[in-house]
Amino acid sequence: MSNTPGYHGSYLRIDLSAGTMTNVPLAAETLRNFLGGVGLGTYLLLAEGVAEHDALAAEAPLIYVFSPLVGSPLTTSAKFAVVSKSPLTERINDSLASSAFAIAGKKCGCDAIVVVGRAAAPSVAVIEDDQLRIEPAGDVWGLSSRATEDALRERLGGDYQIASIGPAGERQVHYATISHDGRHAGRGGSGAVMGAKQLKAIAVRGTRRVAWHDSKALIALSKDLSQRSFGPATAKYRELGTASNLLTFNRLGTLPTRNFQQATFEHAAAISPEQLTATREKTRASCAACTIGCEHIYAFGGSGASSDGLLQKDAGVRLEYENLFALGSLCGVSDPDQVLAASRRCDELGLDTISAGGTIAFAAECVERGLLDVPWLVFGDGDAVLRALDEIVAGTPLGQQLALGSRRLAEQIGHDAIDFAPQVKGLEIPGYEPRTLQTMALGFAVGTRGADHNRSSAYEVDFSEAVDRRDVQPHEARLAVDIENRAALLDSLVLCKFLRRALEDFYGEAAEMLQAVTGWDITAAELEATAARIVAAKKLFNIRAGWRPEEDTLPRRFLEQPLPDDEQTTLGAERLAQLVTAYNSARGWTSEGWIEPVQQASLGLSEL
Amino acid sequence: MHNAIEVELFGIPRSRAGVAKTTAQGERLGEVLGDLEARFPGLAESCIEGGQLKPGYVCNVGGQRFVTDPQLPLAAGDVVLLLSADAGG
Repeated sequence: MSNTPGYHGSYLRIDLSAGTMTNVPLAAETLRNFLGGVGLGTYLLLAEGVAEHDALAAEAPLIYVFSPLVGSPLTTSAKFAVVSKSPLTERINDSLASSAFAIAGKKCGCDAIVVVGRAAAPSVAVIEDDQLRIEPAGDVWGLSSRATEDALRERLGGDYQIASIGPAGERQVHYATISHDGRHAGRGGSGAVMGAKQLKAIAVRGTRRVAWHDSKALIALSKDLSQRSFGPATAKYRELGTASNLLTFNRLGTLPTRNFQQATFEHAAAISPEQLTATREKTRASCAACTIGCEHIYAFGGSGASSDGLLQKDAGVRLEYENLFALGSLCGVSDPDQVLAASRRCDELGLDTISAGGTIAFAAECVERGLLDVPWLVFGDGDAVLRALDEIVAGTPLGQQLALGSRRLAEQIGHDAIDFAPQVKGLEIPGYEPRTLQTMALGFAVGTRGADHNRSSAYEVDFSEAVDRRDVQPHEARLAVDIENRAALLDSLVLCKFLRRALEDFYGEAAEMLQAVTGWDITAAELEATAARIVAAKKLFNIRAGWRPEEDTLPRRFLEQPLPDDEQTTLGAERLAQLVTAYNSARGWTSEGWIEPVQQASLGLSEL
Repeated sequence: MHNAIEVELFGIPRSRAGVAKTTAQGERLGEVLGDLEARFPGLAESCIEGGQLKPGYVCNVGGQRFVTDPQLPLAAGDVVLLLSADAGG
């Protein structure tokens, strides 16, 4: 038992090559400096000391990380991070998923599970408290994650929680996901890392609980937060879901369309949640320990209703803005049934919808330009999107190319294809047009896991009075730093970002929660420094993995080519470079983005 | 004589008002919001109070500037968008 309430004070380290598991202590100082989730995962990844290795090498670690708040009554705290090197970017990848796996994993008596090595054959790692057994996975290899979970529960018992990969992870598609209970640790290809280890699933069951420092205070904080989670700060997520962004973004000229050739989609209304809700059944669901309930699940293909006429969660398609944009407007698809079908196919195969849609849309533009000879792959054809998804996982010659993501596909195609491949550091750009959301453009450029909205959150700055989103200036780069720090803290506590507007005193309230759980005499100022440390630690991993300053930019399309319906708006290479320099300065790094030893020491990163 | 300002509603405001578009009267943002508040009880309950935006909501003029100041002058032909402030993931 750890001396620090809220933690077990150790992690489990599994070596699949040897079939062994050891319990490794974690220092109290490490826990306070990196908290949990993405922060603690980054520390553990750095501590493994293999940043330069290939992401799919046997020795490359795959780390599941819990947090001090997991298992507490705080709403949305049942989340876990998956941290590894990304096969898509060859830089750090940290993705999050929710639900009961986080609670059960922590009850195994650990704060994280580090997996290294490679099993000799497809396997399942079964962990019960601190005991490991490796079981064969031949019977579930090839199944979807959901079917795998069902089959393993049948085999092991219903109270196991299971994180698994689908066929995409098995084939090491570079943007394969890890899934649990229909949720995905989605971005960056952690599913491929798991597949490379021949690890189909991890099943966890445990009995070990942690103590809370001040249960009475924790319960009071939890009740208050839950109450606020029912209020206006989360109404959008609860009542409409993130898909409601679609029409708003279309109106604001920020909806990526046809591989970022446009920022408005003339058929947006046809695939909007407003239209979907008017024409089909919908139900809602929540992650474990969540009071928001942001999952909006739509009936699909005429099925899904039970005998009582209610839509069943597992029968419908969960729709978020990102899959609606990536498989809809980005590919020019206006048929809602085809967008739903593609979303469902990505779920079943275990594919990140953003990278899948981004890569397919990029390929369609290459076809349009005569750079790729795939005549059936055209914008607007939903059947073509479905065929491409299937080929990615079937491993056809085209599918093998698409499975590497848009950057590597562009490198194979040559010519000027890399100029319009929709990616940063190899990670496909999510549904935020960088030319008309320029703080977000900066966030994409400097993002340690590549073009990513969730780790940066800089779109929040653009959608406010703080900046002119079409003409962001270097002195405003500080705003991107501040919002990125907040995201890093949420991802390390871990709490859902959909709560962020319910937290009136962000760092102060986070400190109160940690005080109640851990007993630390921790302040808002210390947590702000902790957030900056975590962002710097991620950058440190990238530097060790071979990062170069020239990576922190956007493809030439976004710097040189105006949008057809917004020709006055430009970003330009020079201004983006100024923004990046200002961002680095605001972080205290060199103007190019290196972290010097003195800065490393001041951030508390010397031991790494 | 007040300006007739075209108002477009998105997300929760649209859902509460039950319309995607309307026209409101006012020479300043606060007056336009006040007109909406008087005519749409759903907006009064959720998004607007005393001619001001409640926390969590924001306006945008013409798809360009995000604004919240009730004193902001509006001109004939301006289009005001009313939306949730958390316009993101």
